[in-house]
Order: sequence, then C-alpha cells, then structure tokens
Amino acid sequence: MAETTITHAAPFARYSLRARTPQALEQVTGLKLPRKINNARGDVICLGPDEWLALLPDGAKLNMGDGLPVSIADISYRQIGIVIEGPRAVELIAAGCPLDVARIPVGYATRTIFELVEIILWRQAETRIHIEVWRSFAPWLCEALQRSSVD
Amino acid sequence: MFLIHCPYCDEKRPENEFAYAGEAHIARPADPSALDDKDWESYLYIRANPRGRHHERWRHIHGCGRFFNAVRDTVSDKFESTYKAGEPRK
Repeated sequence: MAETTITHAAPFARYSLRARTPQALEQVTGLKLPRKINNARGDVICLGPDEWLALLPDGAKLNMGDGLPVSIADISYRQIGIVIEGPRAVELIAAGCPLDVARIPVGYATRTIFELVEIILWRQAETRIHIEVWRSFAPWLCEALQRSSVD
Repeated sequence: MFLIHCPYCDEKRPENEFAYAGEAHIARPADPSALDDKDWESYLYIRANPRGRHHERWRHIHGCGRFFNAVRDTVSDKFESTYKAGEPRK
C-alpha cells in the first residue's frame, strides 16, 4: 500500500466550544458553526448537541467569552492530528473502526473509536481522512495504522 | 456488529461506542434529607430487574457524549426504541 500515506497533520489551534445554543458561541467567537451533529463546516466540527471542536490555524486566538454562559477551552496540546491520504485510506480506517467508513460522506466528522482508542474521524475528501487523537494514545494508534497498512 | 440508534445523532451506531448506565426514570428525591433509611435504600439500590421490557439509560460515550433512554428486551436483547433524556417514558 505504498500509495496511501499516514502523516502527522500540521499543528492547529484547537478549541472545545460548549454552549446551549450555537448562536451564543457564534456571537462570542465570530465563527460559523455547523448545526448538524457529526458534520463539519469549514474548520468547525459539531460533535454533539452542545459541543463543537474548532481546528484553527496555529496561533489563532479566540475570544474566551468571560462571564458569558459559554465554555471555550484551548485544547491545542491535548490531541494531535493524523492524516491518512490515498486510495486505500478508507480501508485502513475500517481495519479498526466499527463504523461503516466506506459509506461515510465527505464532510462527515464524528467522535468514534479505533480498536479501544477514542478518535475523532473527519472525512475531508474521498481519499483523505483526518484523525484527531489524544496525545498519549497517538503512538499506539500510529503503530496500529502502520501495521494494518502492512497487512 | 450490534447497532444502537442514538436519538441525538439520529443514526444507528456500533454498540462499542455506548455505555450502559442502569435503569431509567429514577428521579433523585427533591428533598433528600426528608427521606428515612428505607426510602433512601430503595432510591439507591432497589431496581426492577424485569424479564422482558426494560427502560434503561445509555450513554453515547464515544460519540456525541449524551445520555439517553432506551427500551430493551432483556430476554432477546433487542432494542424496541431509544429516546432523548427528559422525554416521557415509552
């Protein structure tokens, strides 16, 4: 599978955004949030009914909304990004992910698991999948992906 | 793979994204200090444990993270329906 590559993504400024309504967060941050759960819009992924993840260019700063009923946390260093790109990217993820990855449309992004490790999976293109994983799980995940690529 | 419908994601998702969280519709007493030991015991420990239709809480922990309620048959292990937390008992 030489043509499918597993690489570290460029660093991001990552923010976890929580609030009862997306409007409240949009007002504070100026970002446009996706309304549909498990979908990405631009740099922002909607993970749940009150939870979004923003993957902004490295060094970007958000207004933290002090005193407002929103929770905006910088989680840039909690997790790292892995990019799997190539014609067999989907097959590689399907080796350890219980979702029906082949049927996931482009633009779909969700929290799920790979074997026993929690990941965020974002299908950015037919042949490109971006994965977010907590740092401490990353060496194991990279190893597992490398091995399944050999298989 | 066993699939469970998450009412928040509105999708069928694989079972290993979910965690079981006990019997549903057990309301915390509004005034706990007014309870005697018997009532407190029944709130904490006494559960229906039926054979057949069972209302239970589940959490889509490796997904949207939300708790929701489900009706599952404890004999066949089939899910009859799932619904959002706070909605009336089905």
